Amino acid sequence: MPDALLPSARINLERATVLVLDDNGPSLDILSQVVSGFGVKQLLRAETVADAQVLVRTKTFDLIISDVQMPVTDGIEFIEWLRREGGETNRYIPVILVTGHTRASQIRKLRDAGSNYVVAKPITPKVLLERIFWVAREERMFIECDTYIGPDRRFKHEGPPPGTDGRRKDDLPAEVGEAQTPNMSDDEIANLMRPAKVQI
Amino acid sequence: MTVRKFRPPNRLAAMIKDRGGMLAKDAIAAAEAGVETLRESSMAALDEALADIEARFGKDAPDRASQSFEDLYLLASRIIDVSAFVMDAGIDKAAMSLCGLADDCAEAGGWRWEAVDVHIKALKLLRAMGAQLPVEQRDAMLQGLYQVSHYRPDEG
Repeated sequence: MPDALLPSARINLERATVLVLDDNGPSLDILSQVVSGFGVKQLLRAETVADAQVLVRTKTFDLIISDVQMPVTDGIEFIEWLRREGGETNRYIPVILVTGHTRASQIRKLRDAGSNYVVAKPITPKVLLERIFWVAREERMFIECDTYIGPDRRFKHEGPPPGTDGRRKDDLPAEVGEAQTPNMSDDEIANLMRPAKVQI
Repeated sequence: MTVRKFRPPNRLAAMIKDRGGMLAKDAIAAAEAGVETLRESSMAALDEALADIEARFGKDAPDRASQSFEDLYLLASRIIDVSAFVMDAGIDKAAMSLCGLADDCAEAGGWRWEAVDVHIKALKLLRAMGAQLPVEQRDAMLQGLYQVSHYRPDEG
């Protein structure tokens, strides 16, 4: 997990252009107030995915925060569209999805939508700012293939899923890295570090 | 399948470190102050959603069996959306449980009216006096709701 956001950390979002998308007016108002409070000057709002798509086609954004549950086209479909058809300036930008409840049928879809984080509603400023801070600082690789475009979903580096050999060329067996011998004593470590004259 | 793995430029990462800006604690305080101005309208939206749920899905609703699972899910979601102001009352958690119930009913293809009724009653009670209830009593009520809705809070 990324570092916690310290109260004394300094952040500057004055130059950031942010899109917030939520079909529920009162919820969009809350989201907008929170983001404005963080110092964002360029905040654009959309109440439908169609409106958001128009904005994405015409402006360059630095961050998108979108609701998940929306009628007609939902936030998951919007992010999938963004990652494939959002244009070169927008398709790789950080995305935070917000949702009050995730339907059982949508858990996998949500994971595979291509967002950087999913934040639970009701939104609190502290949690949202922390996630914005994380997406600004994270160094996760981006994955682009036929079935997925988005930040690497496997970012804890715990090896391949248990009981599998993994799908990636650089997947190592789970046993690699496990200690094979007892830990060294302090003296043994000190001996390794001790300066010694050498003949060159 | 070809997999491209790369690190795209992150403009946000560059600008968040720009000179100036504000301390995180000040940003949070400013955001909280901004949100506070929405308390009244948010509570009105919450009460409206709750009234709508009761009118369409309550015991006395004349045609509740003809209502859609989706509409109940949507109305319960709307309560969650604005419930930051009443989190100490447990309303957000009860509404999440109702979302779980609506989702469960939709998957099963049939209503469980006793469970719907108990959720509506609980939401009304929590709205009226949830913050004043002893914590153990409120938690026990929420646990009861989770059991009837099959909602598991740890799964979000």
